[in-house]
Amino acid sequence: MTVPAEHMLVLAAILFAIGAAGFFLRRNVIVVLMCIELMLNAANLSLLAASRMHTLEAGVTAPSLEGPLFAIFVIVIAAVEAAVGLALVIALYRNRQSVNLEDVAELKD
Amino acid sequence: MANALFYLMALVTVAAALGVVLSKSPMRCVLSLLAAFFCLAVIYLLAGFQFLAAAQILVYAGAILVLFLFVIMLLNLGAPGTADRIDARMFSRPNVVLVFLVGGALLMAGAIAVRKSVPIPAGQDIPEHGIDSISALAGEMFGRYLLPFEAVSMLLLATAVAVVVLAKRDRGPRNSGGGA
Repeated sequence: MTVPAEHMLVLAAILFAIGAAGFFLRRNVIVVLMCIELMLNAANLSLLAASRMHTLEAGVTAPSLEGPLFAIFVIVIAAVEAAVGLALVIALYRNRQSVNLEDVAELKD
Repeated sequence: MANALFYLMALVTVAAALGVVLSKSPMRCVLSLLAAFFCLAVIYLLAGFQFLAAAQILVYAGAILVLFLFVIMLLNLGAPGTADRIDARMFSRPNVVLVFLVGGALLMAGAIAVRKSVPIPAGQDIPEHGIDSISALAGEMFGRYLLPFEAVSMLLLATAVAVVVLAKRDRGPRNSGGGA
């Protein structure tokens, strides 16, 4: 594949923007969590694009491993975040019978 | 060939991401997210990250999405009738203006970046075994990045405990009636 790294970065930016838009616009907690996953994936993609760029610059003998390493850490954090978030959703549903963010806006006013 | 596949996958990924944001039913959101993750895995593979592509499928599609699916089915939110009615307000005027402003700025930045980009010469490509060979990754992870690795493992343990505590049904004295 000879696609330049900039194209991968643009794809990552578009994905992040879509995820952020969903995060701000949706009211369903589960969909909001999915949008966070989307944003984390965009961050992963940009990390890998940077790693690929540096590897191609430095030559194949010295691959740049920081990108994939931090992408692995991001995947772990995403799993942790999803587990805690969904546990909170279950606790919320048990107390309110709702997963709508409009119903838990006590701190807003 | 590989380039065309990349652009095709990028297109499908963006379409699936839009599906996550715009679908009314949470079930369709999960399925769109699954499509997006699979396409991203193909992109990782094309870019030379074989281990990351496998991890993407295993962890994201195999574990995280199943968790989402499990909660949606447990709370019975998948039926189309339960789509939240307040979501209709997400296309109110300030929201749409904001999205168009941010999207326009982003598209402009993207266009500038793409215009300035130089394609990689065909001969200079990634090694056969990919950029992230597992032995090299493991050497780094258990060498220079041992402390973050241990921190993340502690985080995983704490999460496992926290999730059990959070999701446990509260059987305190108040619920069982009477108390001591």
